[in-house]
Amino acid sequence: MKFIKRHISLIFPLVAILLGIEFFIVFDRTTDTYEQSLQNGYTMLVVSKEEMSIDDFKSWDDHILQVAEVEKSKILDKINIDLKEAKSKSIQNSMPNFYSVKLDSYLNVKDLNSVKENLLKSKSITRVETFNSVYESKYQLFSFIKFSFQTFIVFMTIIGFFLIVKQMEVWNFLHSQRMKIMEIFGASLFLRSKVLINMAFIDALISAIVTNGIFLAIQNMWVRQSNMEILKDNVELIFSFKDIFILSIVAVVIVMVAVFLVVINVKEE
Amino acid sequence: MSNVIIANNLTLCYESDEEIIKDATFAIKKGDFVFITGPSGSGKSTLLKSFYGNLQPKEGSLVIGGLDMVDIKKSKLQELRSHLGIVFQDYKLINEWTVEKNVVLPLWISGYSNEVQETQARRLLHHVKLSGKENKYPLELSGGEQQRVGVARALSKNPFLILADEPTGNLDDYSSNVIWDLMENACQQLDTTVVVVTHKIPSVFNIPYRHFTIDEKGSIYEVH
Repeated sequence: MKFIKRHISLIFPLVAILLGIEFFIVFDRTTDTYEQSLQNGYTMLVVSKEEMSIDDFKSWDDHILQVAEVEKSKILDKINIDLKEAKSKSIQNSMPNFYSVKLDSYLNVKDLNSVKENLLKSKSITRVETFNSVYESKYQLFSFIKFSFQTFIVFMTIIGFFLIVKQMEVWNFLHSQRMKIMEIFGASLFLRSKVLINMAFIDALISAIVTNGIFLAIQNMWVRQSNMEILKDNVELIFSFKDIFILSIVAVVIVMVAVFLVVINVKEE
Repeated sequence: MSNVIIANNLTLCYESDEEIIKDATFAIKKGDFVFITGPSGSGKSTLLKSFYGNLQPKEGSLVIGGLDMVDIKKSKLQELRSHLGIVFQDYKLINEWTVEKNVVLPLWISGYSNEVQETQARRLLHHVKLSGKENKYPLELSGGEQQRVGVARALSKNPFLILADEPTGNLDDYSSNVIWDLMENACQQLDTTVVVVTHKIPSVFNIPYRHFTIDEKGSIYEVH
């Protein structure tokens, strides 16, 4: 019982930290994908008196990624006016050029307005339609979810670290006497901390396995059976095999730093 | 005979800067059995601590086994300590380790094989009359038995110098006699230098010894 308690007291905070880290990684991947889909679905409309190339657009703002000219005939089709061909041609000639412009990232509203202002500096461009209100509401919701989740993760990680600091105090209490005695008899720093290193290393690996197991379970038992399209479409983002290495390395680094801090703080009486 | 401990104008003090040992000059030869006595608080244990590098000299010089203890490097100190046998009044045993593992701690630190450790543990536990208690834990033993484990540990690597701080302070006569016998034998048969800090020299002691005393002012004298 004592043995299990001794291990659980390190494994628990470590798992909390690793869950925080893995949630952060997964959330980052998922939001990147979501951001990409928002970005792909978003275009601004630019009206220009003269024909413009992508380089012309880029010279006014770096965020411009792609430019596609909207065919004037299609615009007339959409308006659904039944015109004779000659009349249609003459209208098309008198119409300005319409461009559908894609940006390189999902910008906030301020930056979006800045892109608009930059484009309007061009004498050729007469109008820029950013569809601000739809964009803003999507962006605000997205930012709010991202911020809430990241705050939760940071909070969870801080609690995990506090629990590890507590565990370091317990280690100091349990192991300092042995380390002091060993130092008197000439043991090196490594020998003195060997017991602690072994225990912490095993606990770190157990914590990494538990965390990876939780995410594998989330991926296979929850996401695949859920109705959340964004998650189902990106189920492989929930857990990737490189996460096993990331979490194991992070866990080992955390416990080794903790062990090192405990060992160097044990002073001979 | 070569000197194992050489102190020249040695002054020791703790962080408070109050001098505990003042201007001490003495030499202890290989094979000497030395008692250091003095009133409580006179600095007997402090002097012993300086012999295993737990306390740095404030002034003067101190050479142990040919090593200058002033500003001694950590690696040199570890090397020196692995060749010392130290006995404490409060035993300083590792309570979560078995008796056998405690006894062979110096051998384990020096990387001796398990076979050597086992053989040496059995031999020493036989000498301290604790055969059959190899797998017990220190807290399962009496105070006298724990101190005998401490002495066995001090002897396990055949040290060139044994430092003992009140080794029989709170012990029964039987345990005290076992401990004195072992130290006498180590000194006589193995030519080990033994320095014992004590309040009182045992009334029956079978080998020649030297006696240093420390007065209240921290001065050291040899009693002839």
